[in-house]
Amino acid sequence: MRSFQESEDFVKRLFKSYYLKWRGDPPREYHKREYAFMLSRKGEMIRHISFENWNEMKEFLVKNVPLHVFYSSAYYLQPSAPEMEAKDWIGADLVFDIDVDHLYTSCKEDHDNWMCLDCNFNGKGVAPEECPSCSSKKIESKAWFCEKCIDVAKEEVIKLVEDFLIKDFGFSPSEIEIVFSGRRGFHVHVESDIVRELDQRARREIVDYVKGTGLVLREKKKKLLIPPLNAQGWPGRIARGVYEIINSRSTHDVAKLLCLKKGKGITEIEGQLKKILSKLEGAEGYWMLEGEACKVWLKIAEKAVLNMRCEVDERVTTDIKRLIRLPETLHGNTGLIVSKIKMKDLETFDPYVHAVAFRKDEVKVKIVSMPKIKFLGQEWGPYRDTIVEVPLGLAVYLICSGNAIISDEERRHHAKGDI
Amino acid sequence: MILSKLDAAKYPFTSLAAKIVEKLETELGVDSILSPNSEVLRRSIERIREAIYSGVTSIYMKDLDVEVLSHPLSLFLVKAVNNPKLLNVYAEAEKNRVFVNIINEDVNKIALLANDGFNWHVKVEKERIFLRFDEYLKVSVNMMDSYWKLVNRKLEEGYVEVTKRDLCRLIAEAYRGKIIEVVMRSKENIHGGLNAVIEELSKEVKAILPPTKIQESVALNEYNPSALPPCILKLMSEADEGKNLPHMARFTLATFLISIGKRPEEVIDIFRRLPDFDENKTLYHLRHIAGEIGSRTKYMPPSCATLRTFNLCPSSDEICLKIRHPLSYYNYKLRLLRKK
Ligand code: SF4
Ligand SMILES: [Zn+2]
Ligand SMILES: [Zn+2]
Repeated sequence: MRSFQESEDFVKRLFKSYYLKWRGDPPREYHKREYAFMLSRKGEMIRHISFENWNEMKEFLVKNVPLHVFYSSAYYLQPSAPEMEAKDWIGADLVFDIDVDHLYTSCKEDHDNWMCLDCNFNGKGVAPEECPSCSSKKIESKAWFCEKCIDVAKEEVIKLVEDFLIKDFGFSPSEIEIVFSGRRGFHVHVESDIVRELDQRARREIVDYVKGTGLVLREKKKKLLIPPLNAQGWPGRIARGVYEIINSRSTHDVAKLLCLKKGKGITEIEGQLKKILSKLEGAEGYWMLEGEACKVWLKIAEKAVLNMRCEVDERVTTDIKRLIRLPETLHGNTGLIVSKIKMKDLETFDPYVHAVAFRKDEVKVKIVSMPKIKFLGQEWGPYRDTIVEVPLGLAVYLICSGNAIISDEERRHHAKGDI
Repeated sequence: MILSKLDAAKYPFTSLAAKIVEKLETELGVDSILSPNSEVLRRSIERIREAIYSGVTSIYMKDLDVEVLSHPLSLFLVKAVNNPKLLNVYAEAEKNRVFVNIINEDVNKIALLANDGFNWHVKVEKERIFLRFDEYLKVSVNMMDSYWKLVNRKLEEGYVEVTKRDLCRLIAEAYRGKIIEVVMRSKENIHGGLNAVIEELSKEVKAILPPTKIQESVALNEYNPSALPPCILKLMSEADEGKNLPHMARFTLATFLISIGKRPEEVIDIFRRLPDFDENKTLYHLRHIAGEIGSRTKYMPPSCATLRTFNLCPSSDEICLKIRHPLSYYNYKLRLLRKK
């Protein structure tokens, strides 16, 4: 295992060079935040640290070269108190986490795989809860992300920020910060006095709103009122979602979506869909839907909600004392920069280009396995048990994620201190 | 729009009410307000009685000064009687009083009252009324119906559309919360001259508001420390450290542990380190709570809402968000643990 240790040392040296030039901005009211660090892969987390002066942060980073750096979304009167109770919570930012792990993407079948550590049974795609062969829960999964994955995550971010946070919740773009998580997703931070003091229950309501959880499509014993397409908030979202579904599919597909048996009442449904569509297009205000068409509407609306909702991790948002990655630091499992992204740059943001910390030099690594990846604009892999010369950034990525070690040749190189 | 003295009497949460109280207190002097034949004292006691007998307080129109002054004094008496049930009943009755009055006001006046009393941002546009979402959430989370869930409301640019009735209910509910907060926080000492009054009131309250009877029989006879909710764990460790726990905390611990099947003789050990521990007394109380002696009613532990009110809820985990009673927490967690 010597080479693993040496690989880690290699990474640490590079991390140190990154932090020597580091100029990350402090989070808002940084001296009221708690900071936490992980210095090594297996080591414990060092917590309850606070900084009176932001220069001390840089000094800390250079001196200790942590693999992971976190700060609290919460503001405390005593951020360095060792017990949570004694910290004196005064508020917290509103944080959302959008992660490819929680999103369905078809490409996961192509680039993710898993293996049972007990019986070696393995498979492609998302890892199951337990091994289908021996029911063991010790499953190691190798998850990657590709352009497709990141595009799906970006779409969720745009939906969250533009549709929900700005239009519905009325936050101004200057209160919203988008951050690449350093691995497979994005964090969206809202720093606003309005949300600061909200408790867990209020935050849970916000998450439920964004995810469409608990949405009542028809109030009991009430007439079904259909919102106009341009209605704000969820009513408009539902109307537009239904419109989209009907408009972009054949009647046959809609019938299938509604789980209707083949051929059963298809002409009848066709008529109802046409009626709904033309009413939706013409209506300026709410209108009433009656009869059998109500059932069709409600079924399509259910699907529409699934399309229009935003997939955020509710645990992150409802936790008012959460530690999150500090922007502009390195993610120890990828070596990528936890990067702040401006809304206008999100569309073109490519983590394998824009979040790469080490852009110069190439280095030889022994790769255990990796799928095909586009890194720094060039395609690499797939590789399996081979020694390849790759860009330094990719080498760090592979070593940090446990998919490669530094090659023997390169080690000798280093011993001589050539880098 | 200007608020009148009648408004101050109807809506004790307004800044005008506070101003009048302050002025009258200096004019009349505390001694006269608290003297045995004081009108204000008489009215304050009456107000509390109205709450426990009818669930809603009235407005004493004969003398509005007295009415306005009776509000803080009533709260003071409620605090002194120190009965958690009374606090809830009183706050509920006051909430009802505010609701029945405010629902008859003009929309613009309601908006003014919300802003003056709670600093709320209410927008009235033609026929529509809006409240800023954070202010809406702070109160609506206490309302259980799906009607109040944010996802079922119209939310536009940070404002939730509400009906006039919704807004009145939210204000009344906010007022209820404020009463509880004020009473919980106040640290004023009991005025010596009031002792007799308070004692009598205490007796009356106890007689009228019997302790909650066990509603659902909890068939939990398994003690599993890893399934205990955060509130109970915290209280247990505080008891272990020998902290002087307030009455409500002791009551919660005792009722909870007994409800999940611990015997009084076992529970007593937890209280052993408390500074004022008295073996016989404690055992007597515990057996009483367990329904073994006395009225034979088993006592239920308080709900999460009540624990929150008394600042006994550290509400720190996932399961807490799903439940409303510490016993449900325990049930839920037990099932989870069994599955594993
Ligand atoms: S939410 Fe309920 S169960 Fe959880 S800690 Fe608070 S009071 Fe206890
Ligand atoms: Zn297996
Ligand atoms: Zn992918």
